[in-house]
Amino acid sequence: MKKVVTGNHAVSYGVKLARAQVIAAYPITPQTQVVELLSEFCASGKLNAKFIKVESEHSAMAACIAASASGARAFTATSAHGLALMHEMLHWAVGARTPVVMANINRAMGPGWSVWTDQNDSLAQRDVGWIQIYCESNQEVLDTTIQAFKIAERVLLPVMLILDAFVLSHTSEPVDIPDQEQVDEFLPPYNLKTKLDVNNPRAYGGLTNPDHYFELRYKIQKAHTEALAVIKEIDEEYKKHFGRQYGLVEPYRCDDAKVILVTSGTITSTARLVIDEMRDEGRKVGLLKYRVFRPTPREILRDILYRAQKVCVIDRNISFGHGGIFAQEIKSVLYGLPASPPVYSFIIGLGGRDVTPKDIREIIEYTYKEETPAEPVIYRGVRL
Amino acid sequence: MKWLEKYKVDLPNLNKESDYPEWAISMTSTLLNRTGSWRTFRPVYENKTPPCSYRCPVHEKIPIYCDYLKRGMIKEAYFTIIENNPFPAITGRVCYHPCELECNRKDYDETLSIHNIERYIGDWGLKQVSVKELRKQSAEKSKGSQQKLKIAIIGSGPAGMTAAFYLACEGHTVTVYERQAKLGGLLRYGIPAYRLPKKILDNEINRLKLLGVNFQTGVSLGKDITLSMLKEKFDYVIIAYGAHKNRALGVPGDDAIGVLSGLEFLAQVNSGRKPKLGKRVLIIGGGNTAIDAARVALRLKRKPVILYRRSRNEMPANPQEVSDCEKEGIKIEFLVAPVKVVTNKKGKVVGLEVVKMKLGKPDASGRRAPVPIPNSNYIINCDTIITAIGEQVDLSIIPDELEKTSWGIAAGEDGQTNLDRVYAIGDCVSGPKTVTEAIAMGRKAAMNIMNKNDVQVFSPYIVKISDLNLSYFSHQPQTKAKELSLSARKGSFKEIHLGFSENESIKEAERCFSCGVCNKCDNCYVFCPDLAVIRDNYEYEIDYDFCKGCGVCAYECPRKAITMIEDSQIIEDNSKE
Repeated sequence: MKKVVTGNHAVSYGVKLARAQVIAAYPITPQTQVVELLSEFCASGKLNAKFIKVESEHSAMAACIAASASGARAFTATSAHGLALMHEMLHWAVGARTPVVMANINRAMGPGWSVWTDQNDSLAQRDVGWIQIYCESNQEVLDTTIQAFKIAERVLLPVMLILDAFVLSHTSEPVDIPDQEQVDEFLPPYNLKTKLDVNNPRAYGGLTNPDHYFELRYKIQKAHTEALAVIKEIDEEYKKHFGRQYGLVEPYRCDDAKVILVTSGTITSTARLVIDEMRDEGRKVGLLKYRVFRPTPREILRDILYRAQKVCVIDRNISFGHGGIFAQEIKSVLYGLPASPPVYSFIIGLGGRDVTPKDIREIIEYTYKEETPAEPVIYRGVRL
Repeated sequence: MKWLEKYKVDLPNLNKESDYPEWAISMTSTLLNRTGSWRTFRPVYENKTPPCSYRCPVHEKIPIYCDYLKRGMIKEAYFTIIENNPFPAITGRVCYHPCELECNRKDYDETLSIHNIERYIGDWGLKQVSVKELRKQSAEKSKGSQQKLKIAIIGSGPAGMTAAFYLACEGHTVTVYERQAKLGGLLRYGIPAYRLPKKILDNEINRLKLLGVNFQTGVSLGKDITLSMLKEKFDYVIIAYGAHKNRALGVPGDDAIGVLSGLEFLAQVNSGRKPKLGKRVLIIGGGNTAIDAARVALRLKRKPVILYRRSRNEMPANPQEVSDCEKEGIKIEFLVAPVKVVTNKKGKVVGLEVVKMKLGKPDASGRRAPVPIPNSNYIINCDTIITAIGEQVDLSIIPDELEKTSWGIAAGEDGQTNLDRVYAIGDCVSGPKTVTEAIAMGRKAAMNIMNKNDVQVFSPYIVKISDLNLSYFSHQPQTKAKELSLSARKGSFKEIHLGFSENESIKEAERCFSCGVCNKCDNCYVFCPDLAVIRDNYEYEIDYDFCKGCGVCAYECPRKAITMIEDSQIIEDNSKE
């Protein structure tokens, strides 16, 4: 059934269809609508889940971890400072191998206070061990939500799906909402092998001495490595059930491209238009949508980007003292390949400033024109 | 190490990757780590005394019967009350409920309407609980067979009725001697029917008869029977003849025609006779008898006015009664005292000379003493004067061999007098007090005769509002009971306060904080972080093998029914085994 829904509500519908059993969340703009609708589903009985009101995001995640460890499918959603407050618990979810699913609505960090979008909140959590998937459209948000539970439960890693504040979270688009039976066929009930059991209590997450800690970390990394194949497999399976798939990354008109632009989130949609325009003009340009950020889809990135002469990367984020985070990732992926293409790094649109087709065109043109980038990091639109 | 074997597991060989668990999970149950050894304080379940029970003369276990009522166990609620008070249908109506003055809820929103709950349960029990059940209940409580005793009780008021009830329930032979033609003492002759319908009293008395109590009416102590006669015939004698002597006004003309005593006036009306009342009726006094007399006069279609020599603050009458009285349209004139009764030539009352008063320094009672204002005398025209300035024990009928006080018979806490096998209880010992205090004394004497312990409060600790965890209670106004409309009260002795319906009484019982008394709310069970609270059929127990003594249970208990005590008993340390 097609419905016009916001990105936030696309998440809620996805969670409902996935039959989440425990939802614990704390409201924060621009995430609030996600749990607002879910709380209504719970209250009206449309979703048979325990909705736990908590006093902070830290507690929200703690509740989800406990629920997940005791065998319940758990979900939460947050944004910016809420995600930052969860930081300790994000490590916990990974260390406890609990397949919690969370939606993070990309919002810039304060101060200065901002509710608008950029990616610094989620990218600051890059190294905690969560799977991170950046979404472009409301349809992708819904589909990714359903996929996320299956991925998480297969590899026992938590999954964060990420959407841009307002540009996606509060923007309505037509979304095909699948039937419950279809989703039930795709996503079996969550079945955890070793559950918390009050009648046979065990120590969970206790002191682990140097004899064992390293091995447990190694197993997390190994799960991440395996997750790449699992995500791909589940994505293909999803296509069989619902006719849609998204890939780890999505190359767009990259085949003979001399310059490939790398984007993530909603900027991708704008970039598609620019690429189409430039292709019409006979320019050999392509676009790579970076979707699954963690685990890093190293091989496929290399396969696509290696063929280009130049690569430009748009970052709506900044690692202070270094530069754009996606650009760093691309550089590290390409490192060591003989005659790998140079990477032009652009930072743009922080704190929700609009990223227009004109901006994107100029970025591609610059990459085309300049032999090498003038600076290691190029800032677009700074009024200083 | 025998207990450890239960948890013995073979530790896996962790050399292979597949042997490793996904995350840091202990290989064995944590039950082998008896964390109770960390404890320095231990929680214990310990009910404490709610202020209502403490203040109640018979120490009714109010939170317990409220809890039974709201759980739909009204029979249990009834038996809980009658353990302390056999006549809840009566006290629910006439007791001035000091419990409600102390209720912790009054500092939160409004006090619990305890008397209406008690009344509902009492009415139910009076209708639904058979004499057989009453006997069975006491038989279960009393241990073994006791020698059956013969007991004489003088006076059938609340004290005598109470003693008779408890003794008869246990199968003792009880004979009650009553001076008046009908039974009930003050309950019948002193309390007007609009406060206590005669039917309720009759039903209670009827039940005493069914329990085997033998009543003899029209028998006066000193005239028809003597103490020595009774001592010969009975194993025990209980004297409970009350305080019914009216205090005289003590001004010139106080014996004129048209001057009536308040208690006598009430007794006449309550026994169905019509006393001669003039048109204009003055009532002198500020106590409950004055209020009752005025309201009865109003119902006899007179226009009564109450005169009281102090101000409203010093009135000994129950404030609720005073306000009801004024609502009905009776005027109370404060700070006037009688000086002289004005009579006509035939010696009949035609007026009362009074003097205005002002309040001076506090007197022995702690209240400010009234002082006459010189030259402020004036005369109020009236035809009848009802005096209600206090009742006294008739000292003249106390047998000589009994020790006396300046106001009545001398008796100890349990009612024992200086004579062996002779008890004295109620107003004839204490001077005029309340119905519930008389019941308390009746019960004490009965228990003492049967060698049983009297009812006790839960503990010496009285729970204050600051002891409660108020986060668990929501504000809820008191449930109001229906009342007879003012117009319907005119000229009628119909009951004024109409009590609660079943739903209202349950709704009100749900407001009870249950101060200090566990009502199985499950908070301790839910909150214990160590799952050390064991719940079995809603009885809780703490597993001290694992209780770390954190105190969360005691903190989260909304009603202070858990106490943390220093732990002197150190459990075996695992490491030593």
